[in-house]
Amino acid sequence: MDKLLYLSMTGAKETMLAQASHANNLANARTTGFKADLAQARAMSVVGDGFQSRAYAMTERPATDITAGVLNHTGRELDVAISGEGWLAVQTPDGSEAYSRAGELQITSTGQVLTGRGLPLMGEGGPIALPPATKIDIGQDGTISVLDDTGALAVVDRIKLVNPDGRDLVKGEDGLMRLRTGGQAPLDPAVELESGFLETSNVNAVNELVSMLDLARRFEMNIKMMQNAQENSESSARILQNLG
Amino acid sequence: MNAALFVGKTGLSAQETALQVISNNLANVNTDGFKKDRAVFEDLLYQIQRQPGAQSSESTELPSGFQLGSGVRTVGTQKLFTQGTLQITEQNLDVAIEGKGFFQVSMPDGTTSYSRNGQFQLNSNGEVVTAEGFLLEPAISVPSDTTSLAISVDGIVSVTQASTATSTQIGTIQLADFVNPSGLQAMGSNLFKETTSSGAPATSNPGTTGVGTTIQGALENSNVNSVEELVDMITVQRAFEMNSKVISTADQMLSFVTQQL
Repeated sequence: MDKLLYLSMTGAKETMLAQASHANNLANARTTGFKADLAQARAMSVVGDGFQSRAYAMTERPATDITAGVLNHTGRELDVAISGEGWLAVQTPDGSEAYSRAGELQITSTGQVLTGRGLPLMGEGGPIALPPATKIDIGQDGTISVLDDTGALAVVDRIKLVNPDGRDLVKGEDGLMRLRTGGQAPLDPAVELESGFLETSNVNAVNELVSMLDLARRFEMNIKMMQNAQENSESSARILQNLG
Repeated sequence: MNAALFVGKTGLSAQETALQVISNNLANVNTDGFKKDRAVFEDLLYQIQRQPGAQSSESTELPSGFQLGSGVRTVGTQKLFTQGTLQITEQNLDVAIEGKGFFQVSMPDGTTSYSRNGQFQLNSNGEVVTAEGFLLEPAISVPSDTTSLAISVDGIVSVTQASTATSTQIGTIQLADFVNPSGLQAMGSNLFKETTSSGAPATSNPGTTGVGTTIQGALENSNVNSVEELVDMITVQRAFEMNSKVISTADQMLSFVTQQL
């Protein structure tokens, strides 16, 4: 059997994987603070004796698009969005630190501040815990001040805002960003927070749809090549039959 | 099968949930004391197809791996307890809360529910009840020969009776407050129930320990902003269409295979 068939097969299979990656971006077109994944194809040539005619396709995710989404006004005092660069630090279930831009905060009955997906938000010294308060105010630098029952205003904690280099960040299996080398990024005082806003997903729906159509046609071309391989082998079989 | 099909499906069902939340908000745009909901989405787990840093040959490694996201899911809905606008009705048993806090309503089964809707009425015994006829807690009964009724900003209910010239205090409306009001369970009929995530209620007189004041002759409108909901509806609809486009594209790819090979 011709190698062509297997080459086209990997082409089609990897195109289908890239398709799934774009589908995931589109499915998250309305997820707060979502960052789109990029997908690229790489040629993996098989090195060995003889003529190098085989280069298999391979889809990979080189990076995540970390450009900011649009800030959407909600007016809720516990909704925060980062204007410009930066990340909110959250604590993952295993106790390590991860970074997210989804700021739909909520308070538990014990006063802990959680993100929309239920992970504790990190402050200057670990997860933030708030005393009972009548009003909570989050400042531009992440400082949380509360107005207590007696009418006294007190600064409680400061949300840990970080701004590591985008190249050092990698998206984990839970969709949260982490440092490639592990560990924790230091607090960056230059990161600015907007209270009463949420950041929309940064997925560009038109881009994703066009990529999907493009990939669908590439897939069809690969299938066409498989069909060609089939025709070739049929013709050669016919010729050999006629010889006999 | 093409993974894009299932990913697209998660997108469709998430947008469907979002539309249901929006339609409920819009349906309650004129419900007094209604608090709007919001659907919260998160991306589902990522599957590692190829680990970054895997060896591509004996001496070289792949610079980037391939992690495939598996779509989106609705984590839950969040009730947004922002203040609604106050509407002056001049009914003496209409009470609005300006600030935090809930009216306490005793249910027929003996439990207490909480509400922001202050459209109170009197029952045949002269007791203050909600529109459903549930008693306000602490119970307040209005004497039958009352000529006028006043509710102060700190919740004191006083009446003037035909028999006396001076007004008499007949009770105080107390408000309950929660650490995490978003954790309350909405029961319909404008009522909320305490849960473990909301915390225990702290009752106090209006205007003290952080709870709001009671405004007589006013009602709190629903905090739904219809324009905002309609814009959300547009984005939901388009997101839904795009996800169905993903499914039809994935379907075409598979049908091309079966037709051509």
